[in-house]
Amino acid sequence: MTIPLQAEALDISFKLLPAIIVFLMMASFLVIGYVFKVADTEGMWVAGRGIGNIENGMAIGANWMSAASYLGLAGLVALSGFYGLAFIVGWTTGYFVLLIFLAAQMRRFGKYTAPDFVADRFNSPTARALAAFTTLLIAYVYSVGQARGMGLVGQYVFGLDIIPMIVVMMTITVGYLALSGMLGATKNMAVQYVILIVAFLAGVYVVGFTGGYSTVLPQIEYGALLGELSRQFTEPFIGGNSYYLWVATAFSLIFGTCGLPHVLVRFYTVKNERTARWSTVSGLFFIMLLYWAAPAMAAFGVDLFAAVNEISPEAVYSGGQAMSGAEGDVIVVLAAQFADLPTWFVGLVAAGGMAAAIATTAGLFITASSAVAHDIYAELINPDASQRQQVLIGRATIVGIGALVTVTAFNPPALIGELVAYAFSLAGTVLFPMFFLGLWWENTNRQGALAGMTVGLLLWITSIINSVLPAYVPALADVAGEGGALVPIYAQYVPPIGAALVGTPLVFLVTIAVSLVTPEPPLETKKMVRQCHSPEPMGQQQTAEDIVSNSGGDTPADD
Amino acid sequence: MTDNNTRDTTDDSARADGGESSNERRASSEPRSDGGTTQAPQRHQNTDYLDEEVNLLKPSTPYMRDHLRIVWAGFVAWALIVFGPVTLTAIAPGVMTTTMPVLGFPWHYFLVGFGAPTGALILAAVYARQRDKLDDKYGIDHSTAGPGESETSESGEATATDGGEPRADGGTER
Repeated sequence: MTIPLQAEALDISFKLLPAIIVFLMMASFLVIGYVFKVADTEGMWVAGRGIGNIENGMAIGANWMSAASYLGLAGLVALSGFYGLAFIVGWTTGYFVLLIFLAAQMRRFGKYTAPDFVADRFNSPTARALAAFTTLLIAYVYSVGQARGMGLVGQYVFGLDIIPMIVVMMTITVGYLALSGMLGATKNMAVQYVILIVAFLAGVYVVGFTGGYSTVLPQIEYGALLGELSRQFTEPFIGGNSYYLWVATAFSLIFGTCGLPHVLVRFYTVKNERTARWSTVSGLFFIMLLYWAAPAMAAFGVDLFAAVNEISPEAVYSGGQAMSGAEGDVIVVLAAQFADLPTWFVGLVAAGGMAAAIATTAGLFITASSAVAHDIYAELINPDASQRQQVLIGRATIVGIGALVTVTAFNPPALIGELVAYAFSLAGTVLFPMFFLGLWWENTNRQGALAGMTVGLLLWITSIINSVLPAYVPALADVAGEGGALVPIYAQYVPPIGAALVGTPLVFLVTIAVSLVTPEPPLETKKMVRQCHSPEPMGQQQTAEDIVSNSGGDTPADD
Repeated sequence: MTDNNTRDTTDDSARADGGESSNERRASSEPRSDGGTTQAPQRHQNTDYLDEEVNLLKPSTPYMRDHLRIVWAGFVAWALIVFGPVTLTAIAPGVMTTTMPVLGFPWHYFLVGFGAPTGALILAAVYARQRDKLDDKYGIDHSTAGPGESETSESGEATATDGGEPRADGGTER
């Protein structure tokens, strides 16, 4: 690799004030978490479960604000035009599906990691391991997008070359992770949300105002600007971005939202299922604050890009001075820089992007380490594992996945938003059908789940091998030739970014078919599913399993 | 889980705070002569939800039937809002890409980029509202589910075991 994949237009140098802002932002996450720390676990348990819907909605929003939303989304809208809107639609409207089919039922089931849910619902350690493996893959792919984002934006603040920058930023991430673990800080997600959304919206409002684009509602006012941009910005279905790809992408993101473990875990902390429902609604609102504004920032950025470089609107998309992928990915920061705003202000916008990426990555690494240490190692490989062994395995996982993510991010296969979308299509293909069928059809059984998850994993992995790997493995590149895919027809219908459009229905069919021809699950399991749908209110600390084992004991008295 | 060791406590406290509580409700599920004309809360009282199959396509309880009506109506509306505009754009690009008055967006861009997410947000609020109404209709009150909040987990379980609703069954069996 001769030319580093960095954003040429970005002002790359060390800047003291922005560096201090980044430091303060990360420190505030830790300090606030530490201050809010509840002394004993028992207290935390009860307090934690008592969170109301506004605060939990903000937590959902904070979870969602990774580099993909903060940076990648505007980048996709800027570079891919109308196709980029598939990401806006996919990353918001999925919450409605989550709300009507899963939120309250998950709250009642009472298990919130994918491996725990799958293991308890389908009574199978193998299913647990498959779900844990999927979780691990999701964390890995998701983190590559974050690493790329923090590296690109980090350059604006710290001024290193892209590769050392990614290494430094990942080191900071692991340090942040270790520090928050040592402090035992419970993350205060609501505060984190407020800091991030303020940084982002400040950028949009100030750029819109100083650029003369908008006043009070940039979210709507950028419409007037669209006529002046290249037609590429709004033209539907141009180039390779067909209608099929648009729908496949949106579909994958929507059902990926419903399958992502770190989304579901937020329902763990709410009082009851009613709060679970309303916090989904307020969470969607808090997410929309960012998603309404992101395309406006993209439009401002594209216009400023042409103005600053003194090129025509069309030349933003073609020719020697066209916007590169890396420039698109940092368009949020670039727009602020082009608007001639003070360094500290551009730094604030950049810091928000970095903080979002670091916090998300830290969370994903914790998920990955528990998936490996607890769900795969302790449950499957070494049932006698001591606490100490598990901790060691967990730490080794973090170091291993950290190194792997760092190396992959040096030469990533796609834009930030697209990388994260790969993770969504995996979640939508493998985990969503398990959650959905597991909660809505009581006869879904172990065999069905195992067959379904295996098919889903194979479909996604072959799609990645087919479309992404040839760029990295010379032997495969020779086979793939010009098109870049081993089997072009497979790449066309099962692209990694939209694999769920074919994958999700297929996994549904396989799971249902296998469940039908194999014995029904035990009554105990069925009752657990029924309990998830019963309108009877449940106690705060209860899971469906508790209720069922209670009523199971009572049943003989009934007849 | 702690369920097995706490079960005795559970039964005791259930009796203590509810008297007739769960046994009564189970007995009441047998004589269902008045089933056709009872009010929703009563039918809800007479249903043991752990004995009724969960099947998305074949709702087995009145509550589930009402709930699924809301779910499916919402889902269809959602599908139209989310995939309608983009499909229309593929079918009739000429009409869809005309510029909107005042705002200046091309129609397709606005309907997809702003309309679809905003529509989903509104639908979400409408659904949550409808679910609250449904709970009202069946006399279900989630705010009473939480005595466990301030008490120990045992009493929390006990409350939920006896259903938590005060005499919504109108006293037919009493």
